[in-house]
Amino acid sequence: MSLSEGPEQPRIGVDEWVASAEERRARSPLARAQDAIERVPAAVKLVALVVPFAVFPLFVNSQYLMQVGIDTVIFVLLALGLNVAVGWVGLLDLGYVAFFGIGAYLYAAVASEYAGRYWDAAIAIPVIAVAVAVSGFLVGLPSRRLVGDYLAIVTLFFLQLWLVVLINASWSRGPNGISDIYPLQFFGRQVTSLDAYFYVALIAFVVIVSFLYLLNQSRTGRAWRALREDELAAELMTMPVNRLKLMGFAVGAGIAGVAGAIYAPVQGAVFPANFDLVLLITLYAMVVLGGAGSLVGVTVGAVLINGVLEALNDADNASWIFYGVVAIALLALLKPWWQPIAVLVATVVLGFAVHEIAEQVRPSLVGGVTLGDSRLDRLADSWVLLPENVLTGDGVPTGWLGRLAYIGLVAAILGLTLVRSHLWRLVALVPVLYLAACVWANVLVAQPAVARFVLIGAMLVALMAYRPEGLFGKQRVEIV
Amino acid sequence: MSAEERVPLLEVQGLSLAFGGVRCLDGLDLTVGEGEVVSVIGPNGAGKTTLFNVITGVYPPEAGEILFEGKSLLGLDPHQIARRGIARTFQTLRLFLNMTVKENVMAAAYGHTRAGVLRSVLRTPGMRREEREIEQLAEERLAFFGDRLVGYRWRQPAYSLSYANRRRLEIARATAAKPRLLLLDEPAAGMNPVETHEMTELIGRLREEGGYTILVIEHDMHVVEGISDRVVALDHGIKIAEGTFGEVATDPRVVEAYLGTSAATERK
Amino acid sequence: MDWDKIVQLLVNGMTLGSVYALVALGFSMIYGILKLLNLAHGDVLMVGAFIGWGIISWLGGAQDPSVAVWLLIVLMLLGAMVGCGFLGVAIERFAYRPLRRAPRIAPLISALGVSFFLQNSVLLLFGADYRSYETFDLVDVEVGISWGPLNIWIIRIVVIASAFAMMAGLWLLVTRTKLGKAMRATAFDREAAAMMGIDVDRVIVKTFFIGSALAGAAGILVGLVFGSINHFMGFSYGLKGFTAAVVGGIGSIPGAMFGGLFIGLSEAFSVGYIEDLTRGRLGSAFSDLVVFLILIVFMIVRPQGIFGKPEVKKV
Repeated sequence: MSLSEGPEQPRIGVDEWVASAEERRARSPLARAQDAIERVPAAVKLVALVVPFAVFPLFVNSQYLMQVGIDTVIFVLLALGLNVAVGWVGLLDLGYVAFFGIGAYLYAAVASEYAGRYWDAAIAIPVIAVAVAVSGFLVGLPSRRLVGDYLAIVTLFFLQLWLVVLINASWSRGPNGISDIYPLQFFGRQVTSLDAYFYVALIAFVVIVSFLYLLNQSRTGRAWRALREDELAAELMTMPVNRLKLMGFAVGAGIAGVAGAIYAPVQGAVFPANFDLVLLITLYAMVVLGGAGSLVGVTVGAVLINGVLEALNDADNASWIFYGVVAIALLALLKPWWQPIAVLVATVVLGFAVHEIAEQVRPSLVGGVTLGDSRLDRLADSWVLLPENVLTGDGVPTGWLGRLAYIGLVAAILGLTLVRSHLWRLVALVPVLYLAACVWANVLVAQPAVARFVLIGAMLVALMAYRPEGLFGKQRVEIV
Repeated sequence: MSAEERVPLLEVQGLSLAFGGVRCLDGLDLTVGEGEVVSVIGPNGAGKTTLFNVITGVYPPEAGEILFEGKSLLGLDPHQIARRGIARTFQTLRLFLNMTVKENVMAAAYGHTRAGVLRSVLRTPGMRREEREIEQLAEERLAFFGDRLVGYRWRQPAYSLSYANRRRLEIARATAAKPRLLLLDEPAAGMNPVETHEMTELIGRLREEGGYTILVIEHDMHVVEGISDRVVALDHGIKIAEGTFGEVATDPRVVEAYLGTSAATERK
Repeated sequence: MDWDKIVQLLVNGMTLGSVYALVALGFSMIYGILKLLNLAHGDVLMVGAFIGWGIISWLGGAQDPSVAVWLLIVLMLLGAMVGCGFLGVAIERFAYRPLRRAPRIAPLISALGVSFFLQNSVLLLFGADYRSYETFDLVDVEVGISWGPLNIWIIRIVVIASAFAMMAGLWLLVTRTKLGKAMRATAFDREAAAMMGIDVDRVIVKTFFIGSALAGAAGILVGLVFGSINHFMGFSYGLKGFTAAVVGGIGSIPGAMFGGLFIGLSEAFSVGYIEDLTRGRLGSAFSDLVVFLILIVFMIVRPQGIFGKPEVKKV
């Protein structure tokens, strides 16, 4: 006896309205755009991604910017590799930069005066890729039975050990590193100009991103995604989970090795200090911001973060970026258009008011000088509070005023997220913004190299709390 | 053909397992012949899901033997056991929620496909053919459930499915692993009477059309009655009764296990 | 047998071990209750050390403190414990609580961000130079126990004694008080504890406060024993504290104490003898390798640690 026999009976799950849901969705303009993008063949999308990089050297004249470009592409490669372990397989690999280092030192071992050898890059790079992949496999072996948390610590320890070995072993020449590394040589022709290195890195990018895309669209990619979703279910559905994890580790490591093999000749030298925790966390920030699991996402994330890091490296540009980001964030997050404008205007007014009062009452509060050097900074001089003698010559705060202001700012921002009422949050935002500008001018802009890392750390926490899928990742549903 | 004359596909002998102080399996014996549909019933905590977990290699038993097609499964990894031909569903659904419906099913085809990293990246003709076959297999498996999981549903993420559809998807996924033995853990749990009825029919069709041997854990006696060649009742990790549905449902030990001693004596 | 050397190594090991035990306790408590590895724990220790330095500077500096030395040390401990306690609460509230239902790697990545933020904030505010507690000015080095081969500086006695006192206090708290019972219940089964009327969020907050306070105290003790602190010191203590927690059995309080001492003594002895064997070439860098090997061995051979119970996953 089947209830679906009578033609009048509703058939469960195939109700007209539900069946037409897809048609209705497909009619919305956003969906049509998304569908159109999806129909574009992958090769075309790849070209679209590569073109901006490819024309970059044509618009750039300075050696410095070329170097930044090469570093960016190398960062992109590293981010792509980290994405395999973290974004696709879901493993927290905290030792990842060790593989970068192994690749770089391996290149130094096959193509430097110190090693007394000069391998052609056409041989060196593939060999290094495989060698580092194997090392990734080996590192993953003892971690096989470990739950995610323990794996993180073991890989972190591995990185620590690698650094200790590098610094103390004789073959690595310790903290001074190896500095007479030969340039890349393809079939006898040396790569000497920065432009040429840029294109070499770009070709590596194209090869690697195609490799990853094709791998992701195969049964291996499916198995990785399944194992990330539910490891036990994946194993019970015939997928060899441990082997897949090791594969993910190894592929990620191999990519880091290639990045290292390009990095070493570009720099001409390798030092243990290049492969530290700061680099690791920066890479994580890139992957998370861009969107773990998305090839386009991590590429964009790497470009954005490296770009911001470079821009924030010197005090001239730093303030533009700071004020710009704050303004953009306000405009993006506060919806009715008048709200961000109101907040900004109120902050400016408050600032001038406070500055005036301070000037009358306690002139030492505005007598100082900001270390920022741009036009924007000079403008802001008459707006923010600049107490005298807050900083020493190299930008470190003396005394406690600067430090307490900073801590107060952090507390204020955190407190702001606790305010329930939207209105009060807007009101409280005004003095907090002003305080932020003051702390920026007094403490942060003086040490832009450190300030940028502070901001990256904060950004990483905020991203994980509010938007863990980053810019291009897909929002994931988790079993509760 | 009676149960004893069929070739036993699965043989469990003297299976024992304890977790801390709780003994889940206590010398359990069970045989399943090829082509049979056997239901496993028993009160909560009787060891039914633990039995499934031990058979599929999730927990190693303390003692006992498990023979599948005459060969021992002890010591094998779960994915190896799955490849030998045993697939299962879960009491508390374990789908790959963020993957599409079709991908969920395609993923289970991993065990009987072979394209490695190199062939996948180079997109060899062999790999492409295999991909097409996997996709076709997934579409066929999903079509088994009528119109519910076909067409536009293929591309939807699994988390967008209704509860009943999720249960169906999990069965479809299990069959994509091309098993000989299906272990269904409470397939009708949480379903309304119409869906339950459909599930009963479905299990019958799985045996008739799919040729699967099926071991089912179920609480709903209508389903058990409707599908079973044989029923096995467990309590405290051992088998307390075995036979047709009629025989087991009236067995005083089974009644006592479910309802308590006075109920058993009343029935007499 | 070089008794002098052995005794010296023993004392070093106990001192180090006490510090590691305090760090391991914090790790264990937080892991026990949230199943979360607080990767930022080492950096909380570092902040504690800097709070201590701040208090010294505020009270006139190590050469000429405006209060008695013992009072100074007490104030430093209190200040660091309270400050780090609140820091831990803030970290839980803003970095971990939003991720309670997220997959396991999410709070770990957030912890990376917190760690990065703390390290660089301290670097920003205090500069890269090592800051010194100037313990030798603070405490007369000659004072101590001297009895045969036993030759311990008073500062080490202070460190070991305070660490043990805190551990004893924690033990009492966990086993004798209502809060302790609530903590154990929440660690065992959070949902069930909530249904029994325990305010799970508050228990978690208090656990973080206590665990972080212990780390802060450890920071002060480190500063007192080793003299110098810098923004990056937390990393190594975090790793070794974690190892100690695992060795002792993560989630177990006596385990953390035992694990800390075990790691401290192992480190002291292996470094002490390796230094001889390699004529001073490997030395302290070797300590990381030793601790790592201990960790790997335990993870493979006995992942639940000495005092832990094997974890069974219900499928």
